[in-house]
Amino acid sequence: MKKLIMFHGRECPHCKAMMPHVDRLEKEEHVQLERLEVWHDEKNADLMRSYRPVIAPKCGGQLRTPTFFCPETNDVLCGEVTYDKLKEWALKQG
Amino acid sequence: MLNKKFYRCFICNDIHFGLKPPEICPTCLAKNAYVEITSDEAARISGPNQATMTREQFRAAIEKFTEKNEFRVNPDTARVETLLDGVFANEQNHGLKYCPCRLRTKDFDEDLKLVCPCNFIIHETYKDKEDGECWCSLFVRRKK
Repeated sequence: MKKLIMFHGRECPHCKAMMPHVDRLEKEEHVQLERLEVWHDEKNADLMRSYRPVIAPKCGGQLRTPTFFCPETNDVLCGEVTYDKLKEWALKQG
Repeated sequence: MLNKKFYRCFICNDIHFGLKPPEICPTCLAKNAYVEITSDEAARISGPNQATMTREQFRAAIEKFTEKNEFRVNPDTARVETLLDGVFANEQNHGLKYCPCRLRTKDFDEDLKLVCPCNFIIHETYKDKEDGECWCSLFVRRKK
């Protein structure tokens, strides 16, 4: 299974809404997402910034949260989405 | 970045920051009353009482800002409180009221686009959408 990252913000309501979906995905599909908070952790923020050329064009030109990202495939899913959409994205990464 | 400058009304000391001075002062209605000044002079005239804003003052400011607009502050108060936690945490930690749902790039001019309220009316989450909202959902389109 490829490495999957969820960039999130502590006070971002969309991120909060996605957390139960991520929990469910990890439990049911046995995938792991590395959850990296970016507004209070500068190291995580710098990591997200390092992927800006890949992430931003797919997220309205900005670094938005939540952003789901696979470093190996460079595939990006951003924003609050349904569980099924998140699952489809995660499983697609292989 | 646009070459914006500070201007001061020589009648009532209103401050304007822009490419050119207003022809009519919105406060005292004097015509052709604005003269270019330095950012330091503008800061001194603005005074220390303008340097900080409490959460309640900011909440009141954005309510007033939306009064005559097609959008309003999200009626979901719990969501608004969470977002204001983020906005004020960002101001404390990073200097300005940055959106808690987008990360700043460290390019100051670029990051000005993230200061709340941002220009969300051009964003795909708001533009041409009946139930449009800004990315973080602090502002939502009014129901018709």
